[in-house]
Amino acid sequence: MSAVQVNPNDESKYAASARAFRDNVTRDLANDELRSNFRGAMDYLMDKRKTAFNDAEELETLREQCKLIKQRGLVKLPHLLEQLEEKLTANGIQVHWAETITEANEIIAQLIESKNGKTVVKGKSMVSEETALNDHLETQGIECLESDMGEYIVQLAKEHPSHIIMPAIHQNKKQVADLFVKNIEGFEHTTDVDALIQQGRNVLRDKFCQADVGVSGVNFAVAETGTLCLVENEGNGRMCTTVPDLHIAITGIEKVVEHLADVPPLLSLLTRSATGQAISTYFNMISHPRQPGERDGPSEVHLVLLDNGRSQMYSDDELRQTLQCIRCGACMNHCPVYTRIGGHAYGTVYPGPIGKIVSPHMLGLEATTNLPTASSLCGACGEVCPVKIPIPKLLLRLRQESVKAPNAPQVMKGQGSGRKSSEAIIWSLWSIMHKSPLLYRVGMWFATRLRYLMPSKIGAWTVARSAPKLAPRTLHERVKARQQTAKGK
Amino acid sequence: MSTTRDNILAKLKSHVKDSDYSKLPDEIGFTYPELSFEQQLEQFTRHLSNNHAQIITLSREDIGAVISKELAARDITSLLYGDNCQYSKDIEHSADSITLNKYNFDFSLNKQCLFDDTPAGITGSRCAIAQTGTIVLWPTPQEPRTLSLVPPVHFVIVDAKTLYPTFADLMEQQQWADKLPTNAILVSGPSKTADIQQTLAYGAHGPKELIVLLLNR
Repeated sequence: MSAVQVNPNDESKYAASARAFRDNVTRDLANDELRSNFRGAMDYLMDKRKTAFNDAEELETLREQCKLIKQRGLVKLPHLLEQLEEKLTANGIQVHWAETITEANEIIAQLIESKNGKTVVKGKSMVSEETALNDHLETQGIECLESDMGEYIVQLAKEHPSHIIMPAIHQNKKQVADLFVKNIEGFEHTTDVDALIQQGRNVLRDKFCQADVGVSGVNFAVAETGTLCLVENEGNGRMCTTVPDLHIAITGIEKVVEHLADVPPLLSLLTRSATGQAISTYFNMISHPRQPGERDGPSEVHLVLLDNGRSQMYSDDELRQTLQCIRCGACMNHCPVYTRIGGHAYGTVYPGPIGKIVSPHMLGLEATTNLPTASSLCGACGEVCPVKIPIPKLLLRLRQESVKAPNAPQVMKGQGSGRKSSEAIIWSLWSIMHKSPLLYRVGMWFATRLRYLMPSKIGAWTVARSAPKLAPRTLHERVKARQQTAKGK
Repeated sequence: MSTTRDNILAKLKSHVKDSDYSKLPDEIGFTYPELSFEQQLEQFTRHLSNNHAQIITLSREDIGAVISKELAARDITSLLYGDNCQYSKDIEHSADSITLNKYNFDFSLNKQCLFDDTPAGITGSRCAIAQTGTIVLWPTPQEPRTLSLVPPVHFVIVDAKTLYPTFADLMEQQQWADKLPTNAILVSGPSKTADIQQTLAYGAHGPKELIVLLLNR
């Protein structure tokens, strides 16, 4: 069967905002406060990472090792998913599969409704952002509250995360304080961060205590043991997976790892790449629902495995490397484009370099055709990636996919949607000319002689730059002239 | 549902080209320098202190007195602990002014009390990791998961003899892959967040204070 399916009714809300990329960029580049917030945050995170990796040899060894761990996991992916399902089921954790975001949301809503659940607390999960789970549950009359401090702020502001690790990185403390004043009754304005966190803690502790259901993401799903691993600092992940009677975890199919022994090196690279921590405050390993005799923990644990474009990434050897990602966010922290335009301008759930190579598979290249072009290809993302994803190379590949000819073999949804016939004709003429020395010489002779006909305004190019000027003579002519002069001497 | 599963797996399987796993490249891990026990202990306490945990080195017979002193300093008069655990008897030697409550109830029946009226909890630990300053909790029916999570102050007893150099060493030597509990937790400090303007704040959702009682005398 075909790896590429288009279901127009299943379109994510992020497709529209991704299409508006250029307008978003113009909007956010003009926002000085936003730019200052991102600049400060990125400098901080780059510095933290640098300090955490003080041994270059260790870093390189770990990167190579973790790349191979993830690649092994991908080679064996279908087998590992079956093993994971078998082990989890044997452990008492129920496994569900979803091809699309709609399927995932429906599975989760049904699980909640089967328990008459009305309130949900959610630990940080980018995959649930991907499915826009909160929106779906709201339509079913189920309240879904974000419990990660950053996610909580973003939810109050009716926004979505601007960074995959630090969701509210685009807001400063004054903005958070203003937001709390608007939304939390009796909150007195303060920019003291401890007081702000304390306020969030108080609101959310009540919610943890009352919630019927906890939803979480997964950082590593271990096939060998049937274990769901969660990385976090706040304790909200532990709350969501421990306090409510029903725990539903949702994750992408690429999060499976083969062995438990694969976890320590990945964990070490993940936390250090993300926030410069040797390890996160909590590393939570869940292998069973509550067992007989145990006094707490959810009586039911479910895992929803989501495809949503991942099998499409899998179908091509080069694009498959996208699935090595462990979602540390280092690529965005080091990206000169992300630092300047911020996370919301991308319009997608996953912003920054990784977002630019992941989103086209989730939303289709038609909606995201501008994203792979929004890169200077400086290479910083590829250099810091803990699992060595060649992000700049994949950006180039996606640029090619977006202008592919209509009759080219189908690799991904929306391929060729960025193709313009005028551009295609120009490039094919260029190609013909460069293949024939005679045509090339004649063409270049005319180009240099007619250089005064070059227009001074050439579309987007001259909005912020002056038009290029052709040289009066071709390089060939100049070299020839030079050689003759030299001979004459 | 099963058709969705089969679809996804079929799609993936159709793109698996080579299933000869013996051709996979060797994965070489980093070899960390071997550290003496003292060096490991230094590493362990340094990381934990940097992460805002309070570390008190003591001998087993001092557990009761130390707890009493620390609770008094915080104006806390009650402590939740596990019954019939390794250190239960030692905990019971705390001052009479402390009300000791046993976690011998079902969590769902006592949720509100645990959230609102339980200022401190104490647990043992399975072992610890020097490299990252990490304590491994292995909750049991006697010391449930919420005992180390919900009370704002968490005392944890760590025996220095259970220190392992790295997480990988620990997993391998204790053969974790053979049997994992319902929930294993690695703790490396009190709950924290830097989600507001990269400013570190402690006590986000979990314990605000982590007091490590390190048995090494």
